[in-house]
Amino acid sequence: MSAAEILNAHPNATVLTVDFFDTMVTRTVAQPTHVFAVVEEGLVSQHGSRWKGVAVERVHAEHRARVVAAETNALRDITIEEIAQQLSEALTLTSAERDLFVRTEKATEIALAKAVPAAAAIIAEAQSRGLRVLIVSDNYMPSSHLVNMAHAAGYAWVTADDVLVSCEHGGFKYNGVLWAVALKKAGVAASQILHLGDDHEADHVQPSKLGIATHIDTRMRRSHREMHNTSPDVLALSRIEATQRDAMYDGEWDVAHALGDGLVGMVVAAQIADVMHVVKQREVAGIHFAARDGWLAHQVWDAMRDGGEPLPAASYTAFSRSVIWRASLTELTPTNVGRFIGDDEVLTVARLERRVGCSLSSLYRPDEAIDAQSARAVLLENDREVVAASQQLRQRLLGYFEEQGLLKPGHHLVVDLGWTGSTIADMADLIADATNGETTIEARLTGMYWDATPNRMRVSMHGYAMTEFESLDNNLRLLGVIKLLEALVTAPHGSVVDFADAAQDFQPIFVETQAELDAYAQLIGRVAQSAITSACALLQGTHPSGVKASDITGTALWAAIMQVGHTPRSEEVEALRIVRHVTSIDHEGEGTPLVASAPSSPKSFRQEQLPGLYDELIHGHWMQGSLRSWSNADDTRWITDEIGNIWPSTKLQWVPAPLA
Amino acid sequence: MRTYERPVLLARAIASVQNQTFSDWELIIVNNGGDPAGVESVVSVARNTTGTSTITVLHLPERVGMEEASNQGLRATTSTYFAIHDDDDSWRPTFLETTVQAYASNPNAAGVLTGVTRVHETFKGGKVWPEKHENFPLDDARLTYERLIGGNTFPPIAALFRRTLLDSAGYFDSSLPVLGDWEFNLRAVRDGGFVFIPERLANYHTRTPDSDRASGNSITVGEDLHLRVKKELQERWDSEMESHGVSKGQYSRDVEAQVAAAEAKLQAKIAEAQRAQSQRSTVRRLVGAVRDPKRAVRAAVHLGRTLAKRR
Repeated sequence: MSAAEILNAHPNATVLTVDFFDTMVTRTVAQPTHVFAVVEEGLVSQHGSRWKGVAVERVHAEHRARVVAAETNALRDITIEEIAQQLSEALTLTSAERDLFVRTEKATEIALAKAVPAAAAIIAEAQSRGLRVLIVSDNYMPSSHLVNMAHAAGYAWVTADDVLVSCEHGGFKYNGVLWAVALKKAGVAASQILHLGDDHEADHVQPSKLGIATHIDTRMRRSHREMHNTSPDVLALSRIEATQRDAMYDGEWDVAHALGDGLVGMVVAAQIADVMHVVKQREVAGIHFAARDGWLAHQVWDAMRDGGEPLPAASYTAFSRSVIWRASLTELTPTNVGRFIGDDEVLTVARLERRVGCSLSSLYRPDEAIDAQSARAVLLENDREVVAASQQLRQRLLGYFEEQGLLKPGHHLVVDLGWTGSTIADMADLIADATNGETTIEARLTGMYWDATPNRMRVSMHGYAMTEFESLDNNLRLLGVIKLLEALVTAPHGSVVDFADAAQDFQPIFVETQAELDAYAQLIGRVAQSAITSACALLQGTHPSGVKASDITGTALWAAIMQVGHTPRSEEVEALRIVRHVTSIDHEGEGTPLVASAPSSPKSFRQEQLPGLYDELIHGHWMQGSLRSWSNADDTRWITDEIGNIWPSTKLQWVPAPLA
Repeated sequence: MRTYERPVLLARAIASVQNQTFSDWELIIVNNGGDPAGVESVVSVARNTTGTSTITVLHLPERVGMEEASNQGLRATTSTYFAIHDDDDSWRPTFLETTVQAYASNPNAAGVLTGVTRVHETFKGGKVWPEKHENFPLDDARLTYERLIGGNTFPPIAALFRRTLLDSAGYFDSSLPVLGDWEFNLRAVRDGGFVFIPERLANYHTRTPDSDRASGNSITVGEDLHLRVKKELQERWDSEMESHGVSKGQYSRDVEAQVAAAEAKLQAKIAEAQRAQSQRSTVRRLVGAVRDPKRAVRAAVHLGRTLAKRR
C-alpha cells in the first residue's frame, strides 16, 4: 500500500502516532544489539582491549537493569543510566569510563541512524494533509536523544515536544501505560488517531484496546537474529544483512539470495582471499579447488581472472572420501572393511558391487537386502577382487590427477571447506607415493575439525576460521553446522564415485541423486548464483554493504557461520527443509533431511525417548535448525525446551570463537 | 622450539608459527635427542608452506636439559627478538605482530607478554581431545621482580624477549634440569622489565592425567623435581643480598610464602562460594528429583554413553 492509500483508509485521523525504532528509524546494521558491537569496535580501537567483550555485557546489563527495576515497579521502563550502572558494576568501570560508554553509545546510535522509507513517506503525506505527528516509543533513551537520532535520519521537524518515550512516562506501550499518556497528549479522541508500528502487542493490541487504528509493518525486523551473541565479529555479516533488508524492502524476502549474498558469499570470498594471500607469499605449482565445496570458489576465481585480475590458473578437481579410500586400499581386513558400509546400512549385493567396483560372489541374490554385518562378510570373502578393483581405481585416479596437473613436481594448494582434512591427507599420501615426493600438497581449509592434528602431520594444513582446539560438547554441536555448510556450499553435480579410463581422459564419474537435484533446482542453485556475485563484489570492494574481503577475518567468518548455523531465522529453516543430506559412500539413496521432522505425536512423546531423539539430531541432521523449527510450533516447543534443559549446549549460544 | 618425541604436537606447534600474521620469523627447532626421522617427517610437511621465513632443525645427539636446548637454538639465530615456543603450545595468529609492535613504543623492555589461555587436553592414541579452556591468571602485578621471585608466574609461550637481553643478562642456565625459564625470567625482569598485553594471544596446553604419559608437561609429570630445584636455587641465592639487606634466597622464600598465603585465602573464598552454590544446587536438584526423579539420572547416563561412544 502507498502512503496515500494507508491514510485514505483512515479518513478521520487527525493525529498520526509513530513508533520510533525499526518503524521510523533504523540502523545500518542488521539488528539493534549490533549497535553495541559497533560501540565495542570503536572503544577497543580508541581506548584499547579493556573494552573487549563490552557489547555482550551491554546486552546482559540491560537485562539485569530490567530485572532490578521490575522488583520495585513492574510497569515502568528503565533508563540508559540504569543500564550503565549495571554495566559499570559488571566491568568495574570508573565513572569516567561509564560516561565514555554512554556517550559512545549515543553517538553511535546517531551515526548509524537512517530513515525507514515507508514511514518517512507516510509521515510526509500525513504532514501534507495537516495531521499532527507524535512519536511514541518504548525505549530507555531520553526524548532528547531520539530527537537527535531523528534529525540524523533526516526528520528535521522533530522536537522534544513531539516525542513520548517510555522511560520518561512511567510505563510502556506494551502494558498500555504509555498509550494513556499518548492519548492525553494527542488531545483528540482515540478514533482520530492512526498508529504506525512494528510490534504486534505494543503497536497493535494495546492501542486497539483504546480504539486507536493501527498499521503494522514488520519489514525492518526481517534481518533480526538472536541477540546474545553480539560482538564486533558479527558486523561483517550484519552489515551485509542490513543491506539485504533495505534492498528487499519493497518485495518478498528472498531466502536463497540472502544466504548466498551473506554467509555463502563470505565463505567463498574467504577461500579466495586465503589463496591470494598464499600465492603472494610463495611459489606454487598448482591451485586446485576441491569438488564439490570448492566449485563456487573456482567459479569466482575464474571470473576474477576473466575480469583482469592477475591470478594464476586453477583447476577444479574432483575427489571424494570414498574414491580416495578405495584407491588407497592395499589390503581388506575386518578392521578397514567397515569403511565401506555404515553400521546401520541395509543394502543389496548389486549395490555393494557398484560401491566397490567389481563383481562379488555370494550366496545372496543380487537384489536381496542384507545387513551391514553380512555385507562386510561378503566383501571379506571377495577381498582379492575388491583390492584388485581398488588398485585399478588408483590408476584411473592418478591418471585424472595427471590430467589436472596435480602430479606436476612442486608445491600445490588444495582448497576445501574442511573439516578433518583426512581426505586431503590421504590424497597427499597417494600423490607423494606416485611422484616419489616430488609433488607436495598443502591443504587450505575454511575450517578444521578437532581431530585434525594427526592429519596435519601428513599434510600441511591451515584453517581459515577454526582449528581443532574445541571441547567435546562444542564439536558435537558443530556436526549440524557442518551438514548445513555442506548443503549450501556445493556444486551443481553429484559426488564423484569413479573415473573413466584413459580413452576418455579419466573424466570423473559423478552420481546424481534426485534429492540433491531437486534441492539444487529449487534453492541451492539460486544460493550459488548470489554467492558468486557477492564473493566477487566482496573481493573487489564493490559489495553494496561496504564490506570488503579484508573485513572477513577468521573470527568474522566464524561469527557468520554461527549466526546462520546456530541461530537461524525461521524462514531459513523453512526454506532448507527441502534439502537432504546424502552421506552413503556410493552416494546412492535419498539421504536424510537436513531439518529433522518433529515427532509425529508430540503429545504422546515420552521423556524416555529424548536421549534417542537427541542422538538422532546430533548425528543425522542439522540439530540447531531442527530445534529452532520445533520451537516455533506450539505443540513441539516443549521438546526443544526439554532438550535444552537436559543438554544446555543445544541452546542458542554459539560455539565460542575458535583460535584460528 | 624445543621438542622431544611428540610429532603430533610438534606439527600443531609449527602450524601455530606458520599461521602468524607477522611473516618475518625464523623457526629453529631443537630436537632434544629424539628420533630425527620423526621430526624430519613433520618438518618436511611443514616446510612446504614456509615462504620467506625458514625452518631449521638442530638434531641434538642426546637429550640435554630444556635450558641447554634453548641456548643451542638461540645461538643458531641472530634475530632481533626471540620466543621459546614449546612443542605442545600454540599462539593465536596475531601474537608476533602484536608483541613486535609493542616493542616500538617500549624498545628497552626485556620482554613483551600477552594474556594466556590454558587449554586442558587429553592426548590418547595419537589424538588430541580438548577438555576445556580457561583464563591463565596473568597481569602486570604478576610480572614484577617482587612477584616473580616467589615463583614463575607465566609459561614461556606468553613471552617475546629482546635479543640483546642475552648479552646483558646472559643465556639460560644450562646447569638447571628444570626451572631454567623461571631463573632466566628473574634476570630478564631486572633488565628492562616486562610489558603486558592483556589480550589472550598465547595458548598454554596441558595434558590431563588421562593422557598417554609421553605427552605430559614437564610441570605435571615432574613436580617433585621442580620443588627440589627451586629449593636448591633459593639456597644458591642465599649469598646474594638484596638492597634492603635480605638475601635473595630468603626474599624468594618470603614472597613464596606470602603468595601461597594469599592464594590459600583466595582458594578458601572460592571453596566457600562453591559450597554455598552447591547447597543451592542441591536444593534445586532435590526439588527437581522430587518432581521428576528419572530425568537427572537419564541425562547423566546419556552423557556418559555419548562420551564413551565418541572416544
